[in-house]
Amino acid sequence: MAASFANTQVSGKTATRQAVASRVAPFRAVTGARRVAGAQTSWLFAGQTVPQRLFAVSGARSVSRAVQTVFAVRDGASLEGRKLRVAVIGGGPSGACAAESLAKGGVETYLIERKLDNCKPCGGAIPICMVEEFDLPLEIIDRKVTKMKMISPSNREVDVGKTLSETEWIGMCRREVFDDFLRKRAQKLGANVLNGLFMRSEQQGENGPFTIYYNSYEDGSKMGTPATIEVDMIIGADGANSRIAKEIDAGEYDYAIAFQERIRIPDDKMKYYENLAEMYVGDDVSPDFYGWVFPKYDHVAVGTGTVVNKTAIKQYQQATRDRAKVKTEGGKIIRVEAHPIPEHPRPRRCKGRVALVGDAAGYVTKCSGEGIYFAAKSGRMCAEAIVEASSNGTKMVGEEAIRNYLDKWDRKYWATYKVLDILQKVFYRSNPAREAFVELCEDSYVQKMTFDSYLYKTVVPGNPLDDVKLLVRTVGSLIRSNALRSADSKSVNVSFGSKANDQRVATV
Amino acid sequence: MQSALLNRARGAAFKATRPTGCSRSVVVVRATAEAVVEKKERRLGPLERGGTLSGAEAAGKDAGEKARAKAAGAAPSGTFLQIVDGRFRDDRWIGGRWDLNQFKDSNGEVNWDKVIDVEVARRKLLEENPIPSINEEPVNFDTSEIPWWAWVKRFHLPEAEKLNGRAAMMGYVLALFVDALTGAGLLEQQESFLGKLALHVCVFGILLVRTSSDLDKYKGLIDEATFYDRQWNATWDGVKRPSEAE
Repeated sequence: MAASFANTQVSGKTATRQAVASRVAPFRAVTGARRVAGAQTSWLFAGQTVPQRLFAVSGARSVSRAVQTVFAVRDGASLEGRKLRVAVIGGGPSGACAAESLAKGGVETYLIERKLDNCKPCGGAIPICMVEEFDLPLEIIDRKVTKMKMISPSNREVDVGKTLSETEWIGMCRREVFDDFLRKRAQKLGANVLNGLFMRSEQQGENGPFTIYYNSYEDGSKMGTPATIEVDMIIGADGANSRIAKEIDAGEYDYAIAFQERIRIPDDKMKYYENLAEMYVGDDVSPDFYGWVFPKYDHVAVGTGTVVNKTAIKQYQQATRDRAKVKTEGGKIIRVEAHPIPEHPRPRRCKGRVALVGDAAGYVTKCSGEGIYFAAKSGRMCAEAIVEASSNGTKMVGEEAIRNYLDKWDRKYWATYKVLDILQKVFYRSNPAREAFVELCEDSYVQKMTFDSYLYKTVVPGNPLDDVKLLVRTVGSLIRSNALRSADSKSVNVSFGSKANDQRVATV
Repeated sequence: MQSALLNRARGAAFKATRPTGCSRSVVVVRATAEAVVEKKERRLGPLERGGTLSGAEAAGKDAGEKARAKAAGAAPSGTFLQIVDGRFRDDRWIGGRWDLNQFKDSNGEVNWDKVIDVEVARRKLLEENPIPSINEEPVNFDTSEIPWWAWVKRFHLPEAEKLNGRAAMMGYVLALFVDALTGAGLLEQQESFLGKLALHVCVFGILLVRTSSDLDKYKGLIDEATFYDRQWNATWDGVKRPSEAE
């Protein structure tokens, strides 16, 4: 397949030169054009924009059966007289950052977002490296968390954050403010922001453009008026329940259900959470995740999540509230929200000229469940790969460019994801494992390594001697904690393999 | 007086052999005088004769304090492993840790077994009845306060004894078997490479595979270790990575 691509690209270049020199009639590709069922398309080479008459391919649903002009362009062919058009479906961090990079690179970008003031249920934590990398103004950060408490099942508290310097913090932000800032910035750089709900897309033949059908809310109506645009490529950035992913048969993924309640607590209690976030671990709170109390701008968000036992999420939420009961006494629940969180990337992250980024692709880390930074970064990397391969929007690009981005992404962040996966598999297995985890986090070496890798997104190999000592201490802690587990304990053991969710939980 | 008692006994025995309700041949032997039993040298009862200890010799062997107090009829004093009003209360739990002074036995050394027991009990209690985390009552007890040899003595040695026994039995049987087959004696078996290899395989096999469910466990672990990698590589099924294709 790659060989034939190379051939066409080479012959494309020669055709261009010929075409520029003398007007050459369009001719079929050397490798043989495949007939799309029901219609004839000619492969047009660079510079030959002689329209061909044909019928619309879309069949019964087609809006007009009148003659349409179709410019099916091969990958690598240069686009005369127009720029590459890319539609980004979904205007969250991944979509907005993709649109921004595309617009900066000279590509004609359409960003389709259904709710411009959407307040997506989210922890809202962003690492400090994101502020630098994405030039975020400090105004959109509501709080700088500098202390993180981890609380074990037997209420052993450890303050993880003793090694943070004054300039290091975790930013807590409001998603509606954050997303809006990124979208507006993309718009300022030239992206066209369309307020509408994506319905479906159709590609007009292989290598043809996509027609996107969406319900536009521009006129302020609730139902929205159907509208279409035509683009060459699509980036699916529409989150965990991605429609683009369904369209390209990207496959299913395991997901956690995260449930969160926003609670407004009295000022004196709020003082405690001023720059402190808490993580509760335990069977009661979640069998394979953690419960959290994160401070927001004037309230706290108390929540939990689970993969293996989604039906019991309310019970886990109650347990989380109970564990934080004394610290949030007198609080009123002002909002209840839930959202799925992907556990691993989808089996297919691209197909043809459609790419997935962010939550739609499934780029959420294990153990911590962090997704915002990776969503934004993947959007940006995908857009940059497209801009580069298309030479700033002057050439058509296809799956090869998208796979470049996927490969670069995998190579850059695989280590981070794998380390977090190992941490989850070792320390979220059972109550003794969680006790050992909290005990280990007391150590300053562990804290430093953890925060360095979280805040700067690099897996920094530390001093080998310290690593060996840490390994010995880890094994020791795990052995002791497991020994302290009572013989008739009713706590559960969770495994993280390929078995079905209900088979992954086993009582001792 | 003994005769009076005997008569009584005979009478009772006789009564017992008669069907109830039958009132005919009832022999009632009544002692006419107050039967005063003389206090003789009583034989020691089975409790005492059976080697029961008390006092200092019984240290560590007594029933728990609560049981003793109950037996003595006194109300149990002190709180032990209780959750009162959403807080963990125990007389030995002071300042968020176990007060090791209260676990000292008669020699003045800390009885680590008791500390381990009580921590197990605390964790179990909190597992079954989770209590809210309270800032004013932090938990400061770290399991590394218990010395390593206490852990080894309590948890590893019994298991080690069992495993050593198994390894010895298996080793002996296999050595016999090999001797019968090849005529190589025990020492000769050790000299050969295959012999040494077989010995190692046998010993480590017994260490690692204790029950048949262990095999499933290891298969599960291998599956877990590679599952995430497979999920990440799914998008490259059948397609070469650009970095590899170069």
